[in-house]
This record gives sequence, structure tokens and C-alpha cells, in this order.
Amino acid sequence: MSLIRCDKLCKSFAGTPVLKDVDLCVQGGEIVVLTGRSGSGKSTLLRCLNALDVPDSGTLEIAGHKLGRGQRSRQALRRETGMVFQQFKLFPQMTARDNVMLGPRKVLGLSRKESQAVADRLLRRVGLETESGKLPAELSGGQQQRVAIARALAVNPRIMLFDEPTSALDPELRGEVLRVMQDLAEDGMTMLVVTHELRFAEKVGTRLLFLDQGRILHDGEPSRLLREPPSERLRSFIGSIYSD
Amino acid sequence: MDFRWQVVWDAIPQMVEGAQLTAWITLLGIGGGLLIGTICGLILAFRLPLMHWLVFVYVSVIRGTPIVVQAMFIYFALPLALDITLSGFAAASLCLALNAGAYISEIARGSVLSVDPGLTDAGLALGLSYPQVLLHVVGPLALRRSIPPLGNQFIISLKDSALFLVIGVAELAQKGEQLTAQTGRALEIWTAVAVFYLLMTFSLAMLMRLLERRLTIL
Ligand SMILES: Nc1ncnc2c1ncn2[C@@H]1O[C@H](COP(=O)(O)OP(=O)(O)OP(=O)(O)O)[C@@H](O)[C@H]1O
Ligand SMILES: [Mg+2]
Repeated sequence: MSLIRCDKLCKSFAGTPVLKDVDLCVQGGEIVVLTGRSGSGKSTLLRCLNALDVPDSGTLEIAGHKLGRGQRSRQALRRETGMVFQQFKLFPQMTARDNVMLGPRKVLGLSRKESQAVADRLLRRVGLETESGKLPAELSGGQQQRVAIARALAVNPRIMLFDEPTSALDPELRGEVLRVMQDLAEDGMTMLVVTHELRFAEKVGTRLLFLDQGRILHDGEPSRLLREPPSERLRSFIGSIYSD
Repeated sequence: MDFRWQVVWDAIPQMVEGAQLTAWITLLGIGGGLLIGTICGLILAFRLPLMHWLVFVYVSVIRGTPIVVQAMFIYFALPLALDITLSGFAAASLCLALNAGAYISEIARGSVLSVDPGLTDAGLALGLSYPQVLLHVVGPLALRRSIPPLGNQFIISLKDSALFLVIGVAELAQKGEQLTAQTGRALEIWTAVAVFYLLMTFSLAMLMRLLERRLTIL
């Protein structure tokens, strides 16, 4: 069974189409890297997959849950997916540990003690067991993003969605986040990663999608697509990334 | 011009009585205003269909008319229209609550909208429901941000309670008027009344500061 299946997904904002008939099928264990120019619709596609943006038309099924009308079906999709944002979006009034505990407490309905155990285990997994009592403002960007990954993992999602998880970080902090993501991939997590880190795409990704003006222009094996870009658009995109 | 301390001294028991009434009216007004304002503020922030028009009308009416007129209306006109009787104290508290409620709904709306929508996304993405996001993420942040403007509103409400002397409620300002009539010493009495108000507003301001420090504003 595929974990993500969407057919003819369309989404426009104020009459401007952003996603045009996107078909996508992702199997368990795939590491799908999604790349493309700014404005090509990468974030929108990711946000449609967990119904933060609601598609205008098309069908969407995540881990067997169909997106229907109403909040309840959206919530069902969101429980199967974890999301990591470019700007971390940790809850600023809560410590790292409380950020990670909120999901287990309120979404999974675990007791305080059980949630603490979950949070401590995940913070250890992302290498932050010593920082658990700190507020987000007291952590570096890389640390904040690792807490955000732990927070998303804490509700046991089947799929992890990453939206440019390292773009807001200084280059020397990117490695620590990418390493955590690679560990996650090696543990068999299904992941969809929007990123311009093409080296990560080649090393960790099992599949590369190149999004262009709201359509999936290429879908294939990362190293093959990157080494021999089949279109001028992908070639110039790769060139623009390595030039800066 | 001589300042007779004895006049002030003799007036103190009555003033304390008036100040107590002022404190009660303010407390009920602020309490009711918080309740009304929170509910209406959320309705405005989330633009709940239909209800947000009702709230818009309520806020517009209150903000668009002087509080003296509102007090007169509630004390003199409303009982005629509804065939009820309201004590001056009840009318004053109700009036202050309705008045503060309108301003507080704008404060509540503004603080809720000032919270980064990305945090709502993050909460929803975890699988929390809308009400849960409001309760655990947006609410606590909005509350912190609303404390400075709320403190401001509380002080305004306390001072506004002075005009309930027009409906004969024996609060602090009305006591001042009575005492001036009795003693004929306007200078001493109104100086003392002003000092009483100052003490009350200052304590309220300090209380809000304390609260602000306990809940770091983020
Ligand atoms: N909420 C919104 N309201 C209006 N327009 C939007 C909204 N979200 C996205 N858009 C528009 O949709 C288009 C695609 O946006 P999207 O964020 O999906 O692109 P992206 O590929 O993620 O780009 P980037 O690399 O800059 O993050 C853009 O033109 C953007 O202006
Ligand atoms: Mg984006």
C-alpha cells in the first residue's frame, strides 16, 4: 500500500494556479527529495499533503485516510504526518521538553509521565538531552530545528514532511540537522524533503522530484537526474544552485 | 488660602466607604468585561459567521457613545423598556462591564491575531484540533501580550466609575460631592478624593506589572 497517493491535485491562490494536476505516489520507506525554483509550489504541495492548505480539487490519501470535507478528516491526515518548517516554529513559551511533550499529551492522550519519557527519548535521539529545560530562544537555530524534528516525531507519524529544514540556518549548523535527518532515513522513516541541498538528495534520497510551475517535471533517481539532467530547466536550476 | 487637615481627617471614613464601592464596581466591571471581551474577541478574531456582525454592532455602539449616556440609558431607560428595576450599583457594574467588554474584545482580537500563524500551523500539523491549538498555543501567548493594554483598560474603567455619580451611586466621586456640600471645603475634599483615586490606580498598575513579570512577554 502506498503511504501517499494523490491524483490530479490542484490548488490556486486568488485565481493564480500554484499546483496543476499533481499526481504522486509514495511507498513506505522512500526518501523523496522535492526541489525546484522559488515559487514553483513546493511548500504548497507539502502543505496540501497534511491539509494545512486544502486542495481545490483532486484526491488525496495518506496512509489509508482519504481527505474529505471537515476538520476531522484533516486531523486524521495530520496524525499520520509530521511536519518540520523552515522557521522551526517551536512554541516560544514552552521549554524544549514541553514542546516535544505537547503532542503525546494532547494528541495521543498519554499521561504526563509517559509523555516525558517520549520527550526525553526523542531529545536524546536528536542529541539534545542536556538542553531539554531551555526555552527555544535560548537555543541555536540548529538546536531549535532538532527540537522541532523531535516534536514532530513524538506523535509517531508514518511520514515526515520537511520544508527547507536547513535554509534558515548558518552553513555550519546545517550539518547537525542533516545528520539527524539521515539517521531518521536509515531507520526506515518515509520522508518527503523540500530542499536545495542536492548533495543530501544524492546521498540520502531514493527519489528526486523536480517541480516546475506547479507540475512535477521530473521524477527519478537522484544521482541520475542530477548528473544527466534531462531538461534545460533542470540543468539551469542545478547550475544556479552551485553558482552561489 | 489655608488647608484644613481636620476636614480631610473627618471625611476619611466616608471616603473609605466610597472607595470600597468604587472598588467593587470596578472589580465586577472588569470581571464581566473580561468575560464578555474574551468571548467577543475570539468571535472577531475567527470571524465566526453572523456572530461577528453582532459583536461588531455591539463594539461600535459602545465605542461610539459616551459612557455617561450608556449609564443613563441602563439606569433610566432600560428599566422602562424591559419593566425591571435595577439598583444603582447593579446598573453601574453592568454598564462598566459592557463598556470594558467592548474595548477588551478589541484587545483580545488584536492579541490573538498578533500570534504568528505559523505556530497555529505547527500545532495543527501535530494533529491538535483548532480548540486545542487555541488553548495550549495561541491562548497563552495572546494572554501575555494582552497584559499591558489590559492594565491600561482596567485603569480607565476604574476612573470611569467616577461618573456613576450621575445615577446616584455612592461611589468615591459621589462621596466627594456630598462631602463638599456638607463641609463647603472643596479644596480639601477634592484633593483627598484625587489622592484616593491615585492610590487605587497605582496599586492596580503595580499589580499588572507584577503579573507581566511573572508571565514573560514573548
Ligand atoms: N497563502 C497564500 N496566499 C497567496 N499566495 C500564496 C500563498 N501561499 C503560496 N502562494 C503563492 O503560491 C506560489 C507558490 O508558493 P510556494 O510557497 O508553494 O512556493 P515554493 O516552491 O515553496 O517557493 P520557495 O522556494 O520560495 O519556498 C507563490 O507564487 C506564492 O506567492
Ligand atoms: Mg517554500
